[in-house]
Order: sequence, then C-alpha cells, then structure tokens
Amino acid sequence: MMRIWIYIFLAILFFLFIGFWASQAEQFLGKPSQITGWALFASVSFLALFSVRKRLPFLSLAPASRWFLLHTIGGFLALSLFWLHMGSLWPVGLGDEVMAGLFYAVTLSGIIGLFLEKLYPHYLTRSGVECIYERIPNEIFEIRSNAEEVLLKCAEETGSDTLGQHYLETLHWFFQRPRFFLNHAFMGQSAQHWVRHQCQILERYLDEKEREYLKQIFALADYKRKIDFHYTAQRILKGWLLIHLPISVGVMALTLWHLIVVHVYFL
Amino acid sequence: MATLSRPKRWDTPFSPDMTDEEVQRLCEIKEIAAIDKDKFPASTPLEGILKNDCRTVRYEVGDIVIREGDYGNSAFLILSGDLRVVLSPGLPDEMLGRTKIRKKSFLEALSQLWKKSIIPEVRDTERYRDRSLRKGSDSGTAQVFLQDVPAVLDSNKTAVLGAGALFGELAALGRLPRTSSVFAETQATVLEIRWQGLRELRKFDEGWRDAIDKRYRENALNAYLSATQLFSHLDDDNLQAVADSALFETHGKFDWHVTYNKMKDMDNASIIEEEPVIAREGDYPDGLLMIRAGFARVSVKKGNGRQTLTYLKAGDYYGDDELYRAWKGEENVALKVTITALGYVDVLRVPSNSIEEYLFSHWATRKKEDIAPMKMELFDQTLADGALREWTVQERFINGTQTMMINLDRCVRCDDCVRACSDTHQGNPRFIRHGKTFDHWMVANACMHCADPVCMIGCPTGAIHRDLSGGMVIINDDTCIGCETCANSCPYSNIRMAEIRDTTGRLVVDPENQKPILKATKCDLCAGQRTGPACVFACPHDAVKRVDFREAFSGAFEEN
Repeated sequence: MMRIWIYIFLAILFFLFIGFWASQAEQFLGKPSQITGWALFASVSFLALFSVRKRLPFLSLAPASRWFLLHTIGGFLALSLFWLHMGSLWPVGLGDEVMAGLFYAVTLSGIIGLFLEKLYPHYLTRSGVECIYERIPNEIFEIRSNAEEVLLKCAEETGSDTLGQHYLETLHWFFQRPRFFLNHAFMGQSAQHWVRHQCQILERYLDEKEREYLKQIFALADYKRKIDFHYTAQRILKGWLLIHLPISVGVMALTLWHLIVVHVYFL
Repeated sequence: MATLSRPKRWDTPFSPDMTDEEVQRLCEIKEIAAIDKDKFPASTPLEGILKNDCRTVRYEVGDIVIREGDYGNSAFLILSGDLRVVLSPGLPDEMLGRTKIRKKSFLEALSQLWKKSIIPEVRDTERYRDRSLRKGSDSGTAQVFLQDVPAVLDSNKTAVLGAGALFGELAALGRLPRTSSVFAETQATVLEIRWQGLRELRKFDEGWRDAIDKRYRENALNAYLSATQLFSHLDDDNLQAVADSALFETHGKFDWHVTYNKMKDMDNASIIEEEPVIAREGDYPDGLLMIRAGFARVSVKKGNGRQTLTYLKAGDYYGDDELYRAWKGEENVALKVTITALGYVDVLRVPSNSIEEYLFSHWATRKKEDIAPMKMELFDQTLADGALREWTVQERFINGTQTMMINLDRCVRCDDCVRACSDTHQGNPRFIRHGKTFDHWMVANACMHCADPVCMIGCPTGAIHRDLSGGMVIINDDTCIGCETCANSCPYSNIRMAEIRDTTGRLVVDPENQKPILKATKCDLCAGQRTGPACVFACPHDAVKRVDFREAFSGAFEEN
C-alpha cells in the first residue's frame, strides 16, 4: 500500500518538475512545448513497455504487478502531461484532433478496463462456480446433454411429454449457447427471472414425479446461468484489451509521426 | 446383483516372481532363520510376508540401489555380494541421475525469446542417448548406474556393506529421505522388503524390532529430541534417559494417497471415522505424543460430525497440557480431543513418568506463561474461524510447501500466469488455472512440492527428486522413462504425462511398438529461471501466491 503512495508522489513530483521547467522556458523565451512534448513521449513510451514486459516473463524485470501499478499511475501522469502539452483540453487541426481523439480513447478504455478488473472478479467469485473461458462451450454442451437426458428419463418414467414439449418451445433456446449477455454485463437478474418464470408457468401442468424432473432442469438452468455470467464477464475482461491495445499502437504511431513532423517543419 | 471377492491385503504382491521355492530358500538365510515363525499370527505368516512383501533384486556392478535424498518405502537385506555406502559428502547430483540446477544468465534467459519452439514439448533427443540408464525387462525396473566404479571409490569415502547387512529401514519406516547413496560394488543379490512387510517383521519379531529400534535410537532419536524446544534444557544423560523411554509408533498407511483417492467422494465425518486413531477423546493421557513425520488431525465431536481444531505436523506435539494438569494434582484429566492419522504418521510416545521427571520438574521452576503454550484457545474457535483449516486438512493441502493459491477476488482470469509458465516450459504450461475453491481462494492444479512427496516413492530411476538446496520436487527429464508411477501416485493429479517431439516437430515414438515416448511434467518452480516462479512474477494483480501450508495460518492468507 505504501508503494502506491510513493509512486503517486513521484509522479506528481515529475509533473510539477516538468511544469516548472516549461514555465521557466517560457519566461526565458525557450520552447516549453518541446519539454512537455518529450516528457509526454517518455511517459507514453514507458506505458507501452508494459506490453513488452508481458512478453518477456523469463527476464527479471520486476514483477508484473509493479509494472501494472506503474502503468496505471503512469497513465494518469501521461494524461496530465498531455493537457499540459496542449495547453487546452482539445487541440486545433485535423491531425492533432485525430491524435487527441485516440489518446482520449486509449485513456478512457484504460480507465474502464481498470474499473472492470476491480469489479468483475468479485462477482465471478460470488457466482459460486469457476470455469475456464475456453472450456465454456464444452461446459454448456454438457449441461444441455444432461438436461436432455433428464427430459428423456422423465418421458420414459411418466409417459408425459409436457416437460419435453415446453423445453423444445422455450428452454431449448436458453440451453443452446450463452444468453443474456448485456444483462449479465450489468450484473442484471433477467436470466434468473426468465428461468424461474419458465419453470413456474409449467409447474401447474405437472404431477409430483414430473415436478421432481423440473427441479433438476431448474438446477441445470441455474448452473447454466452462472456459466453464462462467467462467459460474459470473462469475455469483457479479455475483450477490453482488444480495444485498448490497438488504439495504444495507433497512439504510438501517431506520436512518432508527430515527432518527425514537428522536428522537420517547426524546429 | 454383482459380486466381488473381498479384497485382501496380499492381492497385489510386491513381485509376481516370488515363488514358494524362493521363499524356502530365503527361510534358510541366517537373518530370516533367526525369526520365530510362531510369533506371527495365522493371518500374517512369515512365509506370506516373504512371498508378498519382499522381492529379490539382482544388481550389476555400479547399479545405484538407493540415492541420498530419495524417499523410498523399502528396506534392503543383502543376500550376496558387496554394496558400498557413500559417506559424506556424497555423490554429485549428476552421478545420481539428477539435474544440477544452475540459474540462467541474463543472456541465456533472454535467448528463450527466440529459442522457444512454437510446437510444445520439443526435445533434443540426442541428449537422451548418453544417459546412464540400464533398462530392465519393464520400465519399472530400469536402473541408474555409475559408469566408472573405481573412480567413484577413489574419489569418495565409502564403506562396505556385506551379505547380511540391513539398510534403508529407518527411511522406509519413518518416511524420511535416504541419508546416503548405496551402489553395487560387485554383482549382488538383495532382498527388498516393502514397508508393510518391514512393519510386520518389526511388530512380531523381537530381534528385528530391537535391531531397528536400536539403530534408530543410536542414529536419529537423540538428535531429534534435542532439536525440539521441549527438551532443549536437558543434558546428554537426561536426554538419553528420555530417548530410552520413548516408544515408536506408526499409524496409517504409507501409500495413503491410494485410500485418499478412494475417500475423495465421502463426507467429512465418514473420512474422519476411517482415519486410524492415535489417541481418543476421553482417554487418559499416558504420554506426550510427538509427531516425527506425516500429519495428524486433532478433532472434537461436533453435532453429528467432527470439528478439526488443528493438525499436527513433523515437530509438533500434543498432550503436554493434560499431563501437566494431572501432574499438578487435577483429577480425572482426560484427553479432550481425538488425534487421528492423516495418511501416514510416525509418532514418538514419551511416557508420562519421563515427561514428569524431565520436563515438568523443569517447568516448575519457571513462570507459567513462559512454559509450553496452553492449547485452550483451540477450543474457543467457532466453526467459521476454523473453516479454512478444516478445508485444507480435508483436502490434504496441508501437505503443500509451495501451493499455488489464487485470490479469486483479484484474479481477472487473464491467463498471464499460464502464458508465462508456457513461455518458460517448452510451450506447455505446467499447471492448470483451475482447482478446488474455498471462499475466494483457489488451489490451482500445480505441484505443491509436498512435505510428504508420495510421487517420489517408486520412481525406478530417481528422476523425480527433491532438490536438496531449494527443497523443490523436480523431475530430471533425461532420466525420466515415462513409466507414469509419479503421475499415478500424486494425490492431487498435478503431474501430467506429455508426448514429446523432436526438434523438427515430429512425435517421438518407441521403434519397438510405435507408442509415443512420454515424459512426466510438472511445476518445477521455474528452477533455473532468474525470476523464481514465473506465474507469480507474471501476475499483474498480485493474485497468485505460493503458500507453505505449514506457515499458512500465520498470515499467508491475509491480504497484502
């Protein structure tokens, strides 16, 4: 915990130093944007190094958790330096506007990712099940097979197809693949409500034996709902990086282009 | 209704090659002939032990019989020929068929970036060709052998073990690592006695019992007692008196992983009922119980089940509090707990009169709060307080010294840990990010580097071994013959067999039967890597921990 505050303090100190240096340069007719620009480039480059570090797990380049912490604090520092460099919240000129837009996009995606990484693990744990993302299709297939086995047993034992008919008409849709993606993304209860409702409307048409089978179907559906939540949350947790990373690459490319343009035409 | 003959102890003999003639021949050997057959019960006759719990093994010159540091479940009686025991400092690891762990330099570590193959489990098969392995008729009898015995004799201090010598019995009974290596100097025939048979011989034959106990008292007991805090105040004579009075007991089964796997689906209460009792709730405490090896459960009756209050591991003891109160004059002092064996446990029972004379008389001179800790706080814990401990004991995770624990509240399921493991291990991760969960903790399917490594028992070449410097259990890929003994023994299913490929990516097969060559793979704690365990190093959220369960309940589960 102490380490976080030390890093935050150092980031603030660095920002103040660059700010002071730039203001001094302005007073003495220097080029403050060159100072803030290089500081911004250094901080953005450092942020990009986190991705490189992830690909070199065998090198003793400090634990990834420390890099992640520095990446997060460095992100906010880069945003502050970006504002300092521009002198406003939004630049003028198409090229700079595109670059600013991408920079804001990568910052926003980073903040959202950070928020999701704090939020979802807690809910995933409390779902009561654990499932590796790549195994989810197989898990759903097994749940569906089990459900259909229950239906066959029910039909064999009771001679009634009410439960089977209802399954084909409604529940089959639910067991086919992950459902209620958006609702799960916002930790909604729609899936739970839908499953309970589908079972409730059927109950009055079943006898005692069939109700026992319905209970089994309900338990499988409830388990499937939890797996669906895992699918949603894990997909989002993996997916946001697919937005964050390509935009980061775009920002880095445009930053290099900006550097070249500035040094060739303006300095 | 399906029927099945009730399984009997000797349904699976140690060796199918032991014949009645061989048993008769053994009975004529001096050390066996001296045993009084009549002392053995009808259900466990001496001939039965010889036929089912023993096997004769023939060693060629240079064959290694036992290796220093290995765990084994057999003792050996030399029938003919000479063996040599290597005295301190022992043979180098390479000679024993082990890997020498050397930390990679920065450049070596970096070179993994371009050297790693996109095809998993690629091996340079050329390096297997100069291995010091002598293949037996089946994979289970392959031997590691010393290639230059005269050179070994010249460069090491050794002692001769001739016909009639018994060795390896203390490590076998005490479930301790072998203290030295033994190899064949000449062609030799040795009677290998598995621990079950050895235990019966010790139990029913006074001569064997005296010999084994005498050797244990001479070699290990005094050192063990003086190392415990309880007796650190005693001088050599008094320590000897305590040692002389101590009784040795073994409880449970050496191959506990077999029964553990069978009991996995049973409920907690039934599992505890199955555990061998060392001391029972309500009994009069007749001595101090000291755990020498293995684990024991301390439980009390709670509702319709049993609540695990704590567990005892090597070096722990129980009964001091009750004995002390009885010594102080309290009446009707009885044990408040039941102590049962968790798997296999080796216990020393120091009788109450010794404890009173050598321990309590010392305590009487000191302030009450300075003496051994009272165990009253054990009984104050709620079910919620002890739930995590209960779970770890039930799942036997207490065995782990480097258990991979994942804090699920922090884990974002990004698999960076899996990728890091794969990148550092031939493109194939050595663990699965999946396992049993309790609250927000998951014990992942990764080798726990157990305190009691049952996986090491039975490895015919000693390929799986404990690194004596770091304590981790590692596999030497060069001497692993893919027999799957370790993978089948691991109670936690944390060892996996991998089909290997050559440098061109082709599957390596045995030319005799075209079956793929297998190698045992498991977490090696990234031995040799500069980072330590790559999984822990690669986790951006500090969700992965390596936990020593022997210390786990003193802060390892606290958030950092």
